[in-house]
Amino acid sequence: MLCFVKNFAIPGARDLTVANEDLRDRIRQAIKRQERPTVTVLSSLLATQDEFGYIPREAIEEIAVYTGASTNDVWGVASFYKNFQFTEPNEHVIEICWGPSCHIMGAPEIIEEAAEVLGIEGEGDSVDGKGTLRYNTCLGACARAPVISIDHQLYGRMTAKKAVEKIKSL
Amino acid sequence: MPEHITIEIDGTKVQAEAGTNVLQAAMDAGVYVPYLCYYPGMKSFGACRMCVVEIDGPRGTETAASCTVPVGPDMVVRTRTDDVQDLRRNIMDLLISEHPHGCLNCHRVDLCGPQDICLRHVGVNDRCVTCPKNERCELKDTVRWLEMELDTELTYNNRHLPQQVNDPFWDMDLNLCIVCGRCVRACDEIRGDNALAFVDRGGKGLIGTSIGTSLLESGCEFCGACIDVCPTGALVERDHKWDKAVTTYQSTCNNCAVGCQVKLEVDKRNQLIRTIGDLHGAPNQGQLCVKGKFGLEYVNDKRRLRTPLIRRGEDLEETTLTSALDFAAAELAKYRGEGFALIASPRHANEDLYIAQKFSRVVMESNNVDVSSNLRPELFPALGEMLGYPAATNTIWDLELAKSFLVVSSNMTEEQNVTAIPIKKALKTGAKLLVIDQRETELTRYADLWLRPRPGTETALIGGMLRVIVDESLDDHEFLSKGVNGVTDFKNSLWEFDLMQVEQITSISREQIQQAARIFVENGPGAILYGLETVEPVDRDACVRSLIDLAIITGSVAKQAAGTGLYPLYAGANEQGARDMGCVPSHLPGHSLVNEESAIDRFNREWATVLPSNPGVGVREITEKITSGQIEAMFLLGNSENFKNGTMGEFIDALGDLKFLVVADTFASEITEVADVVLPAATFAEEQGTFTNMERRVQLTQRAITAKGEEDSAWRILGQIARRIGVNGFDHPNSEDVFEEIRGMVALYGGITHERLAKGGVQWPCPAIDTSESSAPHTEGSQDKLSLTPIEFPEPQGEIDPSSEYPLTLAHGRVLREPDRKMEIDLVDKRNIIVREEILEVHPEDALVLGLSVGDVIDVVSERERIRGVVDTTSPLKGVVSTTTLFGSRLLDINQGATPDPMIEFGALPLIPVRIEKVAAQPIEAAAD
Ligand code: SF4
Ligand code: SF4
Ligand code: SF4
Ligand code: FES
Ligand code: FES
Repeated sequence: MLCFVKNFAIPGARDLTVANEDLRDRIRQAIKRQERPTVTVLSSLLATQDEFGYIPREAIEEIAVYTGASTNDVWGVASFYKNFQFTEPNEHVIEICWGPSCHIMGAPEIIEEAAEVLGIEGEGDSVDGKGTLRYNTCLGACARAPVISIDHQLYGRMTAKKAVEKIKSL
Repeated sequence: MPEHITIEIDGTKVQAEAGTNVLQAAMDAGVYVPYLCYYPGMKSFGACRMCVVEIDGPRGTETAASCTVPVGPDMVVRTRTDDVQDLRRNIMDLLISEHPHGCLNCHRVDLCGPQDICLRHVGVNDRCVTCPKNERCELKDTVRWLEMELDTELTYNNRHLPQQVNDPFWDMDLNLCIVCGRCVRACDEIRGDNALAFVDRGGKGLIGTSIGTSLLESGCEFCGACIDVCPTGALVERDHKWDKAVTTYQSTCNNCAVGCQVKLEVDKRNQLIRTIGDLHGAPNQGQLCVKGKFGLEYVNDKRRLRTPLIRRGEDLEETTLTSALDFAAAELAKYRGEGFALIASPRHANEDLYIAQKFSRVVMESNNVDVSSNLRPELFPALGEMLGYPAATNTIWDLELAKSFLVVSSNMTEEQNVTAIPIKKALKTGAKLLVIDQRETELTRYADLWLRPRPGTETALIGGMLRVIVDESLDDHEFLSKGVNGVTDFKNSLWEFDLMQVEQITSISREQIQQAARIFVENGPGAILYGLETVEPVDRDACVRSLIDLAIITGSVAKQAAGTGLYPLYAGANEQGARDMGCVPSHLPGHSLVNEESAIDRFNREWATVLPSNPGVGVREITEKITSGQIEAMFLLGNSENFKNGTMGEFIDALGDLKFLVVADTFASEITEVADVVLPAATFAEEQGTFTNMERRVQLTQRAITAKGEEDSAWRILGQIARRIGVNGFDHPNSEDVFEEIRGMVALYGGITHERLAKGGVQWPCPAIDTSESSAPHTEGSQDKLSLTPIEFPEPQGEIDPSSEYPLTLAHGRVLREPDRKMEIDLVDKRNIIVREEILEVHPEDALVLGLSVGDVIDVVSERERIRGVVDTTSPLKGVVSTTTLFGSRLLDINQGATPDPMIEFGALPLIPVRIEKVAAQPIEAAAD
């Protein structure tokens, strides 16, 4: 029997498809823009995260389409790496290095106070939508430890006080 | 023969296949080494470390995971030293620290019976007795085998994950998962589906689907391969989840022509509780599809017919078997001759089908006998005429070795699912796939070239390919010169196929036709698989002939090699058997025509009868013959979706015109409602029998459950009626005896005995007990039975007649997933459902004529259905509306429907005539973009 699936195509319900076409277009472009000969699932995830600051669900699907992997496999890769985020971050992303050098030079205190000023317990998003706090295992500037980064801009030789000021001034 | 090397395992010298790993070599030699992540037939993974052994090898003595070490010359392996056993126990300790292990290391375990519930020692959730896989769990078996100290220092760390029970058919409890990865690898390596993946990492690492959503959108085909390999209770079938098997029977799935070998598990209540694919089954190598894995539950259904019914006025009343048979016999005796017809279902065994045609011909004196799936009979005869046998040339798993494939109009991944597995495997290693189909199917996703010719022009397209092959001299000259018949006539006939013209009528560009021909030949010779599901009946024979021509001139039937040949993909499970048994209107058992003198003589002699010699009426014409009064009485054995989906016209309505109708079936339905006598029928699980699959392999089914009422198999029912009518030759005591008669009458089956079948299927032709089976008979011996047929350039299709009621054609495709389309999974009544808007693709010119623009909501209306969706103007074919729906949606319909035997409803996807009705113009905000 040729049985037609339940379908919900009633006027108005149409935004199911249309509403995220813009988003999907941006994702597709971000994937296509990659100027490397070896476009992979991983590089496409990175490109998406660079574009949006996180990886929307649609990106998992678009990357699957683009690379020919299944959505499950793309998710398998994405969920493996801690640096990929799947929710939209707040306006500013504050990363605090807790790698060995920074740890010795005082990162724990910075983390504690930064979290307090953002009103959160540890990693996460502040309620006011302003800041997102993330830990980083090494920001690659150990000589200037302790290091934090705000919106990808590095700040070395931090103290808890200076960090709190910077966050407050955002 | 694969090369062998000698290694020593636990002091004994054994022969190991070169290239295999130490674990497999040990298993082959009958030495048990515990393992949890390895699985025969899949690549080694090295995740569980349970298989550690001591090896003296090229690197000195090492302790290594035996599944990851290839066997080498002079290797010495020790599998049971104290060190190794200790190591294994330590590893197991770690493993069960994340698995509920209350019962695994309970010191009372020996006192507690396997299914008892202990009231003290352990918390309920930590007990094995609450696990559906209790007592068939590989983890538990391994723990016991290791004779663990019954105390672990590690505390159990419960993951506290919710059970996932919202998808159809199977449940997932990841608290029980040991992350062996078998399921992920089975789904990827064997099925090619990647519906499961490893997610997260480290201590949180588990298996799952994308973003943790439903299997319905992850591209799962619900084949159950992952369940079958899972060593724990993490993945299980939902039906009979906690039921325990007491006996297991080897049998054959009768839901399609693959004939998968299955193990049927039966519990103490005489119920079929599980089907598991047989790893050693020749057609399926352990694999199944949703129809075989989850579609055999109907045998247990409470609604099964158990008592004979007889018509008294308006009503059907229960009666005894004797009186039902007496009545049926007395009435049927009045309709002997061409006014009688019998239709059997292709789910019947060879024995049933053989007796059905014998009954029809000898008792009822009528050649009107057929199987209900036989709507594409043209797939076969040309094979017989041009190649010698009306059947597929090679075996299913030969396809694994093919270098190129041409698939013509077949939704194989649904209709003959397991056939697609070796194809997908071959494609992974670089084979090329050409698909000719108007519909988008799962296989078109894998195609290197997908050609969508205008409906009705497939033969022209193949003719075009043939022309390119001859023009570019890509044909196999050496083979053709060795005496294939009809080469010159055939080549001359190709002059008609001017590529410009072919392009014009098929709407496939010349370049693509050339490309197709080259892909097929240059990687080939390849395998050709054809279903012709979307090809019009009048075109099918020519289409088949053109495909056989293609197989001959490219040498695809020349080589006995695996990976070549022709495969007709027909619908019914035992349709090949029906043909071999003569359960078709045109042929007697063994493929002789019903009007072939010598055959008639022989059968007259053997059966002591005078056979009718007029070819009978088959399912395609039956409705018309009933309506016109030519057929007055019928016998229906089993139901069919074809009775009501329109492919046989208004068959159910026509049944009302009959004077007498007997139905033998498993469930009450539209057909039993109008019957005069209803006899309860046995299923494949209740009777021994043989089925012949699409690779000519004859295989056994076993009686796994016993009848609960008067249900019986068709051959016995028909025999009893024949005896009552007073005709001899129907006194078979058992099904083996019927098969013995078949062996005597059908030369191709002559050497196939139950004794041989008990060891596994046997392929025909197998004329004598001492002949070994032949896997590629068409090309053995002399070639002069091969002949090419000239092909004719088909008439160009007429323009669409806009005044007709259904001027357009709907090409409805189905795939496992479409990640580029938005969909959502909703929970309704605790079950996941798919919410998605369907897109109906219309050709831009048609859209213009019909005044449609992108985004309009339309209904596509056929005689039987109505589909609503949103217009997109991307159809590549004028006059064709295409749409692609999700397999998951179809599955939900089937899973949630009320019919007790839903898999017969799966249904093909033919092209259907439709018209478009506009429902609403595009919403305003969408019009802006
Ligand atoms: S049922 Fe089959 S397709 Fe689905 S996840 Fe399991 S192996 Fe994969
Ligand atoms: S679900 Fe089963 S097969 Fe899959 S990883 Fe877990 S234990 Fe292994
Ligand atoms: S492929 Fe066919 S024979 Fe095999 S399980 Fe599915 S329906 Fe049964
Ligand atoms: S440890 Fe902080 S920058 Fe390297
Ligand atoms: S079976 Fe060898 S590591 Fe799992």
